This record gives sequence, structure tokens and C-alpha cells, in this order.
Amino acid sequence: MKHTVTLILLMLFFAVPAGVLVLISLASGWRFPDVWPAGFSFSGIALFLQQKEQILSSLASSFVFSLLTVGVTFFMCLVPAAVFARNDFRGKTVLEGLLLTPALVPPMTFAMGLHFFFIKLSLADTLPGVVLILAIFSYPYMFRALVAGFQTMGEHYRICARNLGAGPFSILWQVELPLLMPAVVAGGSVVFLVAFSEYFLVFLIGGGRVASFTGLLMPLLSSSNRSLAALLTLIFLLLPVGLFFILDLSLMRSFRKKGMA
Amino acid sequence: MSWTNNRAGRLVSGLAPLLLPYLVLFCGGIMLTICQSFGVFTPLPHAGAALDAYAKILTDPAFFSSFGFSLGVAMVSAFCTMAAGTFLAYQVWQLPAKLATAALIYKIPLILPHISVAFVVLVFWSPSGIVASIAHSLGIIQTMQDFPNILYSGWGLGMVLAYTLKGTPFAMLLVLALLVRFDVRQIQTAAMLGASGVRIFFSIVLPRMAPAMHTSFIILFLYGFGAFDIPFVLGESRPGMLSIHVYNLYFKHDLARRPEAMAILTMMFFFAVIFIIAYSKTVQRLENGVRKL
Amino acid sequence: MPRRCTLVPMLMIIMLPFLLTFALPARAPGDTLLKTPFARIQDQARGTKVRWYMFGGWAHVNSWVDTYAAAEMKKRHDIDLVRVPMDAGVFINKLLNEKAAGRKTGSIDLLWINGENFKNAREADLLFGPFAGRLPNVQKYVDPDSITHDFGFPVAGYEAPFGRAQFVFEYDTARIQTPPKTIPELKAWIMAHPGSFTYPQPPDFTGSAFIRHVFYAVTGGHEQYMAGWNPDLFAQKAPLLWSWLNAIAPFLWQKGQTYPKDSAFLDTLFSRGEAAFSMSYHPPHAQNLILQKAYPETVKTFVLEDGSIFNTHFTAIPFNAPNKAGAMVLANFLISVDAQLSKYIPENWGDFPALDMDRLSAQDKNRFQAVDLGTATLKPGQLAAVAVPEIPAAYLEALEQGWKEHVLDK
Repeated sequence: MKHTVTLILLMLFFAVPAGVLVLISLASGWRFPDVWPAGFSFSGIALFLQQKEQILSSLASSFVFSLLTVGVTFFMCLVPAAVFARNDFRGKTVLEGLLLTPALVPPMTFAMGLHFFFIKLSLADTLPGVVLILAIFSYPYMFRALVAGFQTMGEHYRICARNLGAGPFSILWQVELPLLMPAVVAGGSVVFLVAFSEYFLVFLIGGGRVASFTGLLMPLLSSSNRSLAALLTLIFLLLPVGLFFILDLSLMRSFRKKGMA
Repeated sequence: MSWTNNRAGRLVSGLAPLLLPYLVLFCGGIMLTICQSFGVFTPLPHAGAALDAYAKILTDPAFFSSFGFSLGVAMVSAFCTMAAGTFLAYQVWQLPAKLATAALIYKIPLILPHISVAFVVLVFWSPSGIVASIAHSLGIIQTMQDFPNILYSGWGLGMVLAYTLKGTPFAMLLVLALLVRFDVRQIQTAAMLGASGVRIFFSIVLPRMAPAMHTSFIILFLYGFGAFDIPFVLGESRPGMLSIHVYNLYFKHDLARRPEAMAILTMMFFFAVIFIIAYSKTVQRLENGVRKL
Repeated sequence: MPRRCTLVPMLMIIMLPFLLTFALPARAPGDTLLKTPFARIQDQARGTKVRWYMFGGWAHVNSWVDTYAAAEMKKRHDIDLVRVPMDAGVFINKLLNEKAAGRKTGSIDLLWINGENFKNAREADLLFGPFAGRLPNVQKYVDPDSITHDFGFPVAGYEAPFGRAQFVFEYDTARIQTPPKTIPELKAWIMAHPGSFTYPQPPDFTGSAFIRHVFYAVTGGHEQYMAGWNPDLFAQKAPLLWSWLNAIAPFLWQKGQTYPKDSAFLDTLFSRGEAAFSMSYHPPHAQNLILQKAYPETVKTFVLEDGSIFNTHFTAIPFNAPNKAGAMVLANFLISVDAQLSKYIPENWGDFPALDMDRLSAQDKNRFQAVDLGTATLKPGQLAAVAVPEIPAAYLEALEQGWKEHVLDK
């Protein structure tokens, strides 16, 4: 009984909104006081098909800069995370606190200061500029995940591999990285989601030239035809879910192949 | 001596891939914000005195009402989120394994961008929205004018709802991560000794979840305090959130008012830093106090 | 202690990359485009990409640009048209930033602009030109006298006409039989029906236009303002507007606590029945939304006897547009007979043409006359009878600023 209540609560808060979005995307004329749409139409889908090129290209652009952000944060954090997990030094706690602040303080505070100089450096309105800004604001998630990953892994694998004669690079690449994969995926998914759903920073630094799905969605949210906005929100939901599903699956398979699962 | 230098050098070079962008982009960005607030390095040469922008803002009552409003919205939404997230996480944790998969739907708002969550709130809670329609069909209200003013009451309830919906799964995630390592036998023992469910929750489970609750509170509070996306969709004409105030100063006026935007950002940054330090110090002291007892 | 001393040099090192940007050399502009024959410009623009920055809040307009305009540009000129949604105030700010940073090549090719934004852009020298006179379609079809001024500011060829707008109110005949006819009647109606009227928050163009209508009506007509900015006159007249607006504020939607942030939001409130009236700068806008099924078929439009403001909206090219040739080709296409006709059709958009009908061939003229503007749209005669011009841009800015101070923050 108690568990049913829990599940109903979860459904009410988290699944019903998604269901309502499906209804809205099929019923553009759904009005007060109808609890259920009076009629369904495909006008939202028709609008979607009409503008599909712009929608798909901004979707692709969002996807590209989010993945690049994951990549950049990964390379930024990999070695520092190993150093952090394996060394104790004076001021470590303070440094860790400092390194995590970019995810905590409002990103506007540094992004707007940088903006004018990004214009001067020709980084504004470019993909690298957007990726840099997103990376500096999202790397703490990757960093924490990797530090935790290195800590759970411990030093035994590395020492063992070294004793067997492996160099530092092959240790990292062939021994540690595969073991670190769950942490990379965990940190990477958060970074991906943060980058993928960000509106303001992409708008500020991308200047409209770097297209983004959120940038496309924003003006539609107040439009009187809500179908398209609902439809795009659903795509937003499905795309990362699909991506994580594929990732999970391929990860499982590769572990199984190596006999680790 | 040379050994320490060597080790320090190794540490620094190992940390360099992170330290360098951190110093240049993050610290550099903050420095540039601060400089521009004093009228240094601004796009247009700054004519007045260095503290002009601060003088102007600190004499503007609209700034203080925005500041108070942002603080209030962030505080209430972070608190609601933390409470809802902790409660639901505890409930989900108790679910049998069979049902736990179904409970994964809680992750949906985690994926949705903030602006979509704001849209969902708009769809449900506007006077012509779904909640009003349901209330009408149940006979609770007659016309949509009877529906209580939720989104535009001047209290930022719409934003609180959106932040809570978006943040709850995040808080649940953090709390659940701690709970999976929690030993169920502690609860069983307590129950055998006759502790009530409420007592178990407050004396055994809650202290275990506290670190995750504190972390989620800090993150969600500061996010709500300084973010732009949700206020841009759900914000009311007045009082505005600080981020919208900054946006208007930055984009909607000529460049002469740039230092004012930067001065607000500088104050927001220092407020955030002071808040983080004060909060973690308080938590530390409280926890130490508990342990000493 | 020694650590303290290293702090300042370290900060300097952090800032070094940014400090260096102040030393970047500025390139000299070398524009010969204005002397190039248009046929050559068209050749030059073939195979390029044009980024058009424009207000993105109207779904039907976006759709017209993304489908009709983009497809035709590709077909006729092999140009890829990319629409970038951005508020006019924001892109002007972006250009100011780029100018201050010394960026000789920006990212915007064409702007959709008019009024105070055009004035601000011209005053800061942000626009390329004069190019409008170089466009064949402007030479052929546009009456030069109709585009001399934009909100009282001389155009001088720095923007090309794109369309014509006139302000109308929208209402649902199923809900209201006879709409108010004058500004005083509107006030009486609002007070008799609390909670059902509102207007978009200025500086949204539509909301800003609404308060200008009231300004004209309660201060004795538009003629007195046409001579240009007069601060004494404004100081004397504006309080009448503030007191009118403050008098209705408690009777507005949400008791005037908050205002819809743009006209699309007001359309949504109207279509969902929360607001009894909507307003638009495009007379066939209601018909467009009826055809989209966003409005019920019982919606009609009306104008007030006190006057209905009309204006022309334009396209302009920034000083640092990377593809000025492509932008000129697009601006020329937008004022072509085909494009103007397509956007005139309510199903597509419903924006009035900026062409001089007397300069068109009889056949083209017929094509315009054959367009069915729908039952919701007023006849051209009804619109022309009440048409009044826009106020000079300086008044508009003072009104928007004053609204925030005296009405919103009161």
C-alpha cells in the first residue's frame, strides 16, 4: 500500500507532465475548461515538418557542442583527478573547494566578464568559445566523478601493471581507463545534460551563430500554438535517454566481453 | 629541499590541465567582471569615478527589492526541493527491487532543460491551465478568474514550482547515492527495540542523509539565486530576479551602463562565495557539536 | 608572507591574454560594394550563406522565413538563408559590443529593424550603406516619398523597406458583441470588466504602440509631436498618460501586478480566454491565427476612432556584416513582388506590402487585389480612415522609460 502511494506520487510529479506534453503536441487547440482535449490535430507535427531543417540542424549543433564539452572536460580532469586521488598535500581541501566553485557560483558572473574579451579574441560566436564556456562551468561534475573513480580503483592495478613493465601511458590507457569507464560515463552524462540544456551561456557566447536547441525552443514557449514547443520538449527528453541507453548497453557488453560483469 | 620542490613541481604539472583553464577563464573572468564594474576595460571608456556604478546601484531601491526577491525565491525553492527530494528518496529506497525500476521515472525532469520545466509549470498552473480545468470540472471554480493567482502573484511561486520540479530528482539522486551504502540492519535493530517509523527516520536515517541534503541545498540555492533561464520564462514584471535585472542592464541599454551590470554580478559573486563559506562552516560546527554530545 | 607579494604579478599573468587584446590592430575597411552593379553583386553572392537576425517571437513569421523565403533564396540565388531569432535591442547591443571591440567581421548579415533601434544604430554608426537605392526592386516598385523617415528619423538609404504595419485590436464576437470605439470607451470597458484586459509590457513593440495610442488620445492628437523631440512638451503631456494607465492598472489582468512579456504571450492569453482583447501590428494577424486553428473563427479585429498607428518596417545591413553582397540580394528579394505577395496572404503571414501599387503592372496589381484577407481583417478603407503616423523615436524611448518608472515601478 505504502509503495503504491510512493509510485503514484512519483508518477504524478514526473510522468504525468510528460504525458500531458504528448497530448499537447497532438492537440493545439486544447483550452480551458476541457480536462481532455476536445479534438486532436497534426498541426504541431505539420509545423515541425515544415521547419524540420532548422530543428534538426540546431539539434545537431547542440549535440556537437555538448559532446565536445564532455570531451574537453574529460581531458581537463583526467590527470589532475589521478593526482588528486593519490596525493595528500597541504591545502588540498581548500584547493578542492576552489576547484568546485565554478559549478556553484552563478555562471553569469564570469561569463559576462569574459564576453567582451571573447569578442576581441574572435572566440565569441564560435563553437570553441561556446565549448570553453560550457566546460569551465561544468567540469566540476567530471572532476568529482573521476576523483571518486580513481579512489575506488585504488593503486593496486597501477602498481601491478607497472611491476609487469607497463609505461605510464599504457597503464593509463589500457589498465586504468577501462576500469574508470563507469565514472567517466557518470560524470560525462551530467556534463552532457548541463551543456545540452543550457540556454543563457550559449545565447551569450554563441550570439545566435552557434545554433542550439534551447535557443530554438525559447521563443516558441510563449507562442499561442503550444504543440510545437511540446513536441520539441519531448524530443529533448528522448534524445539523451536514447543516448544513455545505448551507452549503458555498449558498456555492459564491453564489460561482459572482458569477463568483468 | 630539492625533493619537496620536485614533488611540488610534479603536483603542479599534474594539476596544470585543470589549474590553467581555471585560473585563466574562471578567475580571469571574475577579475574582468570586477574590473569592468570599476569602469576598467569596459567597451566604452568610462568617464566617471571608479565606484560610480556601485553608488548608483546601492541607492536604487529596485536593486534591493530584486536582491531580496532572488534570495527569497532561491531559499524557498531550495528548501522545498531538499525536503521533497529527501522524502521521496527515502520512499524510493524502501521500494522492493521489482518496483525500483519503475521508480526511475523520477529522472525525467533531470533531463529536461530548465526552460522546458518552466513550460510544464506554465501549462499546468496558468489560470487557463490544466489544474484550473480540473478544478472547474470538479466544480471548485466557476470561471478562470476564480482560480487563485499562482504564477503572477508577485511572490515568485511559479519559479519556486519550476525549481522544485527540476531540482527534486537531483536532490533524490544525491540522497539515494548515500542511502545505497546504508546498512538496513540499523533500521531493523531500531524497529526491534521499539522505535517508531518517525523516530527511526529522524534519529537514524536523517543524520545519514544530512551531507547529501546540505550539498543539494547549497547547489540548488545558489542556482536559484543566480540563474537566468527559468525567470526569463516565468518571471513577473516586478519584482524582477537579479539575473533579469543584469540581463536588461547588459543588453537592453547602451554600453554606458555596462559597469552597473558588472557591479551587480560582482556582488552576486561575493554573496555566493560568502554563502558557501558560511554555510559549510555552520554545518561543520553543528556536526562537531553533535559528535561531542 | 612572501606568498602575498606574488599575488599581484600572478593576477597580471592571468589577465595577460585579455590585456593583449587591447593591442590588436584594427583593419581598414575597403568597401567598393556600393559602386558594383547589382548583377555582379548577385553573382558574387551565389553559393554563400546569409544570416538574418530578427525578432523570433512570432511562430508564423518564423515559419514564413524558414520555408518560403529560404526555399526561394536557394532556388533563385543559390543562397542559404539562416534565420537567427534575437530581439532587436539585443542585436544592436551586440553590434555596439563588436564595434567597441574593433571586430571588422561580425556574424550578422541582415537585420529586421525600425524605429528607435534604427535611430540608435545610425547614431552609433553601426550600419552599412546607403544601399537601399542600389536595390533594383526598391528603384522599380517603391515610392521614395514613403520611405524618407522611420519614426521621424531620416532613413537616407540605410535601410530597405520590407513591410507595412498598422495597429489593430482583436476580440472574440462570441464573447463581446460591440467592442469599444474610443479610448474613453475602452477605459470604461476595462473598469467594468476587471481582470480581462492587459497589454504587452513595453518595450515590446506592440505594447509600446498601445501606450502611444493612449498618449495621442489623452494629450490631444499626434500633430503636436511631429516636429521632433521637445522635452518640455513631453514633461507637460506625459503625466496625463501615466495617470490614465495607472487608473486602469488595478482592473487589468492579474491586477496590473504583471504584464505579458511580449505580444505572442498576449495572443496566448487571448486564445485561451484569459484576456478579452489582443492587439497586433499586422491587420490580418487574427485571420492567420484562425487559419492555424489557434483562434476560434469568431474572432474579429477593430480599430479605435482616435486613430491607429501605421509604420513601415525595414531591413538593414550591419557595418561588419561578413556577407554584405548576400544581404543586399536578400533585402532585394524581400521587397520583390513575389515575396511581398506571399507574406501578404494571411495564411502565410499577413504583413502589408511596402510597394507602391501604382508602380506595379496591371497583372501584379490584380494578384494583390485577389488576396482574400478573410472575414477577420478590416477593409483597407477602414484602416486608412483612422491611420496616424508614428511618433519620433526620441518620444518613444522616453515613453518606454517613463512607463517603467511611472507605471510599472510606481
